[in-house]
Amino acid sequence: MSVSDLMWVEKYRPHKIAELVDQKEIVGSIQSLLKNQSEMPHLLFSGSAGVGKTTLALCLSHEILGEHWKDSTLELNASDERGINMVRDRVKTFSRYAGLDSKIPFKIIILDEADEMTADAQTALRRIIEDTAKICRFILIANNISKIIDPIQSRCAVFKFSTIPEKDVVFHLKEISKKEKLKSDENGLAAIYEYSEGDLRHAINLLQATASLGDITEANVKTSAGLTKVKDVDIVLKLALDGKISDARNKMIELIKVYGMSESDFLKYINAAVYKTKNKNLSDIVQTIAKYDFRILSGANPEIQLSALLAELTKFGK
Amino acid sequence: MWSEKYRPQSIIDMMGNEDARASFVEWFGKWKKGTKPLLLVGPPGIGKTTLANLAAKQFGYDMISLNASDVRNKNRIEEILSPILGNASILGSPMIFVDEVDGIYGRSDYGGAEALIKILKEPTVPIILAANSDLSTKMKSIKKVVKTIHLRPLPPRLVQLFLKKILKKENAKLSPGSLIKIISESRGDLRSMINSAQAIVTGFEPATGKSFESLDVESGVNAFFKANSIDEARSVLYSLRIDPREKINAFYSSVITSSISKSELDKMLQVLSQADMLFGKIMRTQQWRLLRYLDEILIGLYQKDSSVRYSQYNLSWPLLNRLRWDGKSIKELATILAKNMHISRSTFGTLYFPYMLFCIKNKKMNLDLEENFSDIIEKEIEKLA
Ligand SMILES: Nc1ncnc2c1ncn2[C@@H]1O[C@H](COP(=O)(O)OP(=O)(O)OP(=O)(O)O)[C@@H](O)[C@H]1O
Ligand SMILES: Nc1ncnc2c1ncn2[C@@H]1O[C@H](COP(=O)(O)OP(=O)(O)OP(=O)(O)O)[C@@H](O)[C@H]1O
Ligand SMILES: [Mg+2]
Ligand SMILES: [Mg+2]
Repeated sequence: MSVSDLMWVEKYRPHKIAELVDQKEIVGSIQSLLKNQSEMPHLLFSGSAGVGKTTLALCLSHEILGEHWKDSTLELNASDERGINMVRDRVKTFSRYAGLDSKIPFKIIILDEADEMTADAQTALRRIIEDTAKICRFILIANNISKIIDPIQSRCAVFKFSTIPEKDVVFHLKEISKKEKLKSDENGLAAIYEYSEGDLRHAINLLQATASLGDITEANVKTSAGLTKVKDVDIVLKLALDGKISDARNKMIELIKVYGMSESDFLKYINAAVYKTKNKNLSDIVQTIAKYDFRILSGANPEIQLSALLAELTKFGK
Repeated sequence: MWSEKYRPQSIIDMMGNEDARASFVEWFGKWKKGTKPLLLVGPPGIGKTTLANLAAKQFGYDMISLNASDVRNKNRIEEILSPILGNASILGSPMIFVDEVDGIYGRSDYGGAEALIKILKEPTVPIILAANSDLSTKMKSIKKVVKTIHLRPLPPRLVQLFLKKILKKENAKLSPGSLIKIISESRGDLRSMINSAQAIVTGFEPATGKSFESLDVESGVNAFFKANSIDEARSVLYSLRIDPREKINAFYSSVITSSISKSELDKMLQVLSQADMLFGKIMRTQQWRLLRYLDEILIGLYQKDSSVRYSQYNLSWPLLNRLRWDGKSIKELATILAKNMHISRSTFGTLYFPYMLFCIKNKKMNLDLEENFSDIIEKEIEKLA
């Protein structure tokens, strides 16, 4: 079994655009764009996690490039390869051999998590997009479109993905259950939706974890839920608000330096965690987080900035 | 003289200015009769002359060179260069190198630039020029008939790298204070850096004139927090001449591990947050002159009778080890798997890894990975509970 089949999210990732769950409007307009491939603009997909952005990008590459998709697609993840030089080098080498194959209209560069790039890097990207436009199409993917600079947005057709409604999530989970020969009940599936909040990736992961315990029942779902490290960020926030700065910091450092959570993901999750605490200083806390989000971008050592954030949060405890 | 001893022996061995070097080599490789001459422009001591000499050697040319120490008036230039240009075969494969062209001026070099430009227009052999600046009117007219490549001062990181290499070869040591001083004062000029390093190592350390001799980190940080007045703290800070990143980190690890009150800690981390932002800006813009504001920010850490003392590490040993070993293994695992699943390493660690461990623990998944990952997986499964 290949590594990618181990995880059901990967095993059941659609390969054709038509198989995508929900996102009907987007699928519709993409399909009409495909009727005239050579005219296709660069694309920018934005929206929350686990709703099909990367999936659609990969489907597009399959459908446009057919059997050549592997050689003619460059997939980069800006969160892993932060430096613009890295991106530039790889894009340059990749686009150099273009035009060799007349069977494809263009090559495709998927730049995932593009909102992780600094404004400087994005500015440089703007040139790269232009320089390679004859040969390549970019598909940029971002959770937070406001972090994509305007000149880049203006070079792309923008598609905003929405979270997936309960009935579609449940239907999809049932399909997978059938193929994996699972026993599931309605309450179990409803519980999975509750926990995953329209994030289909999370829903499928939770389904698989629950299945490793036994049937998909509410009780089993409960046992498997809350495994993700997102939960640990909730704990970091709580520790900080309780004034346990040293514990909070140790846990934060473990998340980032042991489990590889990026600083910006950490900030994203801690921001979400604030809304769950129902703290009366909610807006002050959110502003404080925003301040350090900015400082990380201008600073040199994110660890110092995040420690300072946690220390400042102690003010907002009871 | 170290600066000659450590003149790079091949172009690859040179430091910095990669792009410029690459286009320089490319120019050489593609040279043919009529190719525009090349002008290297850049501040002193970054490798212009070295580059020209090495290229001649590597591409097998016999180099005829003229530098500022030669008289370079119209007659001399024509006298020396015309035979080469006219009848190249006499000399095998010759090339011309006019170093320090911006130095052609004055009465003794009368007409030199004009004569040179005439030659530059019809290059029958490779011609290279070098100059520190291309702003004078004479240089502007030269620039019209050549291809220009700019070389820049080397960033402190590379200067430091080169210095450390030399010190290692010389089996010599410098105090952190001198190290940082040499690097910042070199302003990216490697030759001057080598010269001052040699001067200091061989026993000529310029006096600092400060009451505090340069301090090592530990005694520096401690003296800072024990200081009796803010002025004393300030002079300790100034004499702590170490790499700015090291300086900020030393204060950070000392502050974060001390047992001070929450509000005091908050206040001090605010200061360090500001310091880090300044340093980030310096690194990004390479405006090292901004460094002089760093101490003014750090002085905000001073408080009389503070209990903060130096600490080298900002984490406990167990966590530090976990970071080094487990963090490394998980990163390797993430690098393999994240690519396969079209996600970032961060998403892998946060959202996928825990579920995988859970399924493995329940014997419903079998990771067919290399042996060396089984330890970390076992360890992490234990932590799940
Ligand atoms: N619309 C969808 N239709 C079918 N499957 C989906 C859809 N959205 C998500 N999935 C499932 O979730 C997994 C992850 O989805 P995908 O990688 O497309 O998310 P994403 O929107 O790119 O999220 P992120 O912003 O976190 O990268 C897929 O492998 C697939 O199994
Ligand atoms: N890029 C480099 N890599 C390694 N060493 C270097 C480099 N540049 C300069 N050096 C060191 O500095 C010395 C002087 O270099 P070089 O004469 O090439 O400088 P230059 O750029 O021609 O300066 P000027 O403008 O003053 O003529 C070399 O012998 C070498 O020790
Ligand atoms: Mg994605
Ligand atoms: Mg020189």
